[in-house]
Amino acid sequence: MKASLLRQASVLAVVTLLAGLAAIVQAASPARASEKVFPYAIHKKTLENGLDVIVIETPEFKDVLSYNTLVLAGARNETEPGKSGLAHLFEHILFRHQYAGEDSGYEERMSKLGTHNNAWTWFDGTFYHPLTFTSNLAGKKTPREELPGVVQLESSRFTSLAFTKKIFQTEAGAVLGEYRRVASFPQIKMSERLLGLLFPHHPYGHTTIGYYEDVLDMPNEYEAALKFYDTYYRPNNCVLVIAGDVKAEEIFAQVEPYYRAWERQEVPPIIPTGEPPQQEQREHVPWGADVAPIVWVSHRLPAFRPGTVEGAVVELLNELLVAEAAPLYKKLRYQKQTASSLFFGEGTQGMESFDARLLTVSARLFKEKHAQRGQEYFDEVSGDIITGMEELKRFARQKGAKKLLRTLKSRYRYDFLAGLSSPANIAQTFSWYYRFNRNPEVFENLLASVERLTPKDIEKFARKYFVPERRAVLTLAYEGAKEAARK
Amino acid sequence: MRRNLVCLMMIFATLALALSVAAAEAPKVVTLDSPTALLQIRVMVKAGAAADPAGLEGLANLTARMMIEGGFGDPRKPVTKVQLAEMTRPWGGGAYPHVDVAKETTTFSMIVPKERLDTYVKQVFAPLFTQPLFAAEELDRLRAETLTTLRSARLEQIELVGLIALDNSIHTGTSYAHPDLGTEKGLAQVTAEAVRRFYATHYTPENVVVGVSSTDPAIVEQLRAALSGLGQVEAPAFARHPAERPAEVRGREVLIVALPNAISTGLHAGFPLPLTRADQDYWPLYMANIWFGTHRDGFSHLYQMIRGDRGYNYGDYSYMEHFEGRPFSLFPPTNSPRRHQYFSIWIRPVQHDYVHHLLKALTWELENFIRTGLTEEQCARAKNKARVLYLSLAETSSRLLGYRLDDEFYGLNPGYLDNYLGKINGVSCGQMNAAIKKYLQAENLKYVIITDDEVAPKLAEALAGGEPAWGKPPADYQIDVKDEGGQKVYTVPAPKLELLRRDAAWAHYWLDIPRERIRIVPVEQLFVTATIPKQ
Repeated sequence: MKASLLRQASVLAVVTLLAGLAAIVQAASPARASEKVFPYAIHKKTLENGLDVIVIETPEFKDVLSYNTLVLAGARNETEPGKSGLAHLFEHILFRHQYAGEDSGYEERMSKLGTHNNAWTWFDGTFYHPLTFTSNLAGKKTPREELPGVVQLESSRFTSLAFTKKIFQTEAGAVLGEYRRVASFPQIKMSERLLGLLFPHHPYGHTTIGYYEDVLDMPNEYEAALKFYDTYYRPNNCVLVIAGDVKAEEIFAQVEPYYRAWERQEVPPIIPTGEPPQQEQREHVPWGADVAPIVWVSHRLPAFRPGTVEGAVVELLNELLVAEAAPLYKKLRYQKQTASSLFFGEGTQGMESFDARLLTVSARLFKEKHAQRGQEYFDEVSGDIITGMEELKRFARQKGAKKLLRTLKSRYRYDFLAGLSSPANIAQTFSWYYRFNRNPEVFENLLASVERLTPKDIEKFARKYFVPERRAVLTLAYEGAKEAARK
Repeated sequence: MRRNLVCLMMIFATLALALSVAAAEAPKVVTLDSPTALLQIRVMVKAGAAADPAGLEGLANLTARMMIEGGFGDPRKPVTKVQLAEMTRPWGGGAYPHVDVAKETTTFSMIVPKERLDTYVKQVFAPLFTQPLFAAEELDRLRAETLTTLRSARLEQIELVGLIALDNSIHTGTSYAHPDLGTEKGLAQVTAEAVRRFYATHYTPENVVVGVSSTDPAIVEQLRAALSGLGQVEAPAFARHPAERPAEVRGREVLIVALPNAISTGLHAGFPLPLTRADQDYWPLYMANIWFGTHRDGFSHLYQMIRGDRGYNYGDYSYMEHFEGRPFSLFPPTNSPRRHQYFSIWIRPVQHDYVHHLLKALTWELENFIRTGLTEEQCARAKNKARVLYLSLAETSSRLLGYRLDDEFYGLNPGYLDNYLGKINGVSCGQMNAAIKKYLQAENLKYVIITDDEVAPKLAEALAGGEPAWGKPPADYQIDVKDEGGQKVYTVPAPKLELLRRDAAWAHYWLDIPRERIRIVPVEQLFVTATIPKQ
């Protein structure tokens, strides 16, 4: 393969994408809005065992293969106390698959083929995303050996994973290392407390990496891990998304034989064990290092579904609340200068969840001001954030609301499209939204729902969800600073 | 007739002169062949944190931030930061400029819908870069925010602080020796006048390169012309001087950074490397390093030894170029080029008990890598991996454009990515092994250990003591131990024997670091000035 060919190909793909998208951006008329925004064909085939296979043909990216498996099991599926973090540990284990009965059998072969291989775990799912050349899809014969292709290797670890207790325990050590590297972030402790407060009866009540005690105990959870795999790594609970320089029909034919034997099994639903709290909650987290104080204002939001009115409001909240031109942002960072930064704690992704989850507005404060004013300073900032959110309850009544909403829609489209810049990005974004309804038209539906939004929709959303009974306010400061504030 | 000819010639001569003057006053524009609807635009100023004058560390960073947030245009009717946010709002988040300050460069990035380019250039691009106002009150706000970020990062981001501390330590005494953000004292000293002087000194047409994802001559000319008035403010220039080459490391020395309440320890080691991507030997060493320590990849040797086989931590890597964007970036971000590079090893946080063992391990592994080199098979696998990495390095038009600008910095033509696959294919195993021997060594190393403040003194003594230091016990490898007549008998399967042998080699390796070459510095004393305190 020629370097220049791929380079041009990558550029071309971006071009095609954005050219297609720009036409829509320019045309705000309802007639044009019915045109397809996403320029590539999306092909779907559901195998008999329930596995959805999606192929997104992006031929401009010459010889690029983005081969993704989304397992619809994440921290949300860790329902047993003391076993938080299993989904994430499992992500690690899958890389240690003993293909052909050999330790490192899978990794060795993927490495010999030439792949960049990684994965991530979140609340609702685990996403495996090797990137390689299309020519590696099928196997290779070298003078020395016969190498299986990506389809064979990937299907093998999902349909018939093999690993020993030793491998499991070694990987548990790596996960502990992963916890340790982030343990100095105050946000980890704050997340643990916040999720516990807002979701005492739902697995969203713990973080993806799990509680420290659970992570320490992971080497003893071999049996629980086997059960997790058996329960959730099922074809009807997974989606295979392949994007790049591929042909849908060929992919379907190549993939099916390797995934056919994977047995379907019903996945247990996640049922909350009680009602969420119905009153505002406040908590202070003392911290042992002299860091800048933090304020979090969180609200429980509805379950997200792309294409719905509420889902569309969620897509615009970042721009309405914490972007440079948002009134709340300007007030805290520019006018009052009470916060050095303001953003959503988990980006927009935190709200895009299968069950009702949350929005956290996070403000970083100034140490000196906290030393002088203590709790009063926290109250002022959290009060300003709450007021800023509540102002959306009168959104439609403000001057120029319609024009402002048009501006936000335009911005959203440009940002959405700018994000789809490579087969890997396209596949990941697609998987992220597809998982909700399993509708291949999800991009169109999402963008159309944002296009249809009215100022009243924003008001309605704010009135329903930005209310005290859905709220938690968390503050964090250095313990010593507290002493100073008292003096 | 003759007279007319002379006149014409004079006109041509004048025109030619005018053109050459104009050319000298406008920055160079590099392009990417891509008729995108969303244009990527970057403006790279070839001055970054290394250009901070002594005592004003943080000036490059604050100048860059002031360009965006300090207002611009007509002083009587300035475009404020808020107006900038509102103007760019309908064109997408990328239309609001974003800036990255690295050691040698400051790079502004924008994404602009093509159909809005005329308006954008007129209302934002041209006045922002050529008529900055540097409002003093904005400087005070930005300074306070930056100090908050710097002070908090020191106590929160154990990995980032370790990485910066190693970089600073290797470049002690040079203009690379402080964080790009600045230092506490330096930031406090920056004035609006200093910002104007920095702009006048460095934001000049000959010192700026513009990149755009279009080859349309009209667009190129539009951007070039828009920046022809760069750097024109009345302020005395600072002296411009290239960053100094770091001093050679002699022997081994350790900087222990002590943090309150750290539950783990990060390990770093490195030394200056007289090699950049403009050198012939870059590619063989690049590929050798891929085998030894590819960033965030289970493929490489260090990762397999320390994480894969033994589960000590999240990952273990080595670098032959500075890698900006760690700990979070999976691939090296563009636009942080350097004229001086360094080789480094990063062992991500491990349990305190294993630090001594793993410091020996990383050194032993480096030494062994140099001693044994790579087999043909290992070279072939590194080559394979290098090829695949290309897919990620060249993934988006944004990255492609970023590399174009870096090519300008390094003087590469054809560019880094244009050459990449050809160079990878062309390198032989012999060249890789020769590069390892020529450039790598383990005798002269600077280590940085970032750990808990109560662990630090004990660790310093242990390292200086030089006793054998063991890591995980055989039980952690599920090796059966039986007590037979008071003697422990280990039943070791063959594959695990190699593991134990290597453990023993690490445990008994002599680091040879006397106590006087180990210093402990509380983290609060880092980044106060450009000098790391003695003890």
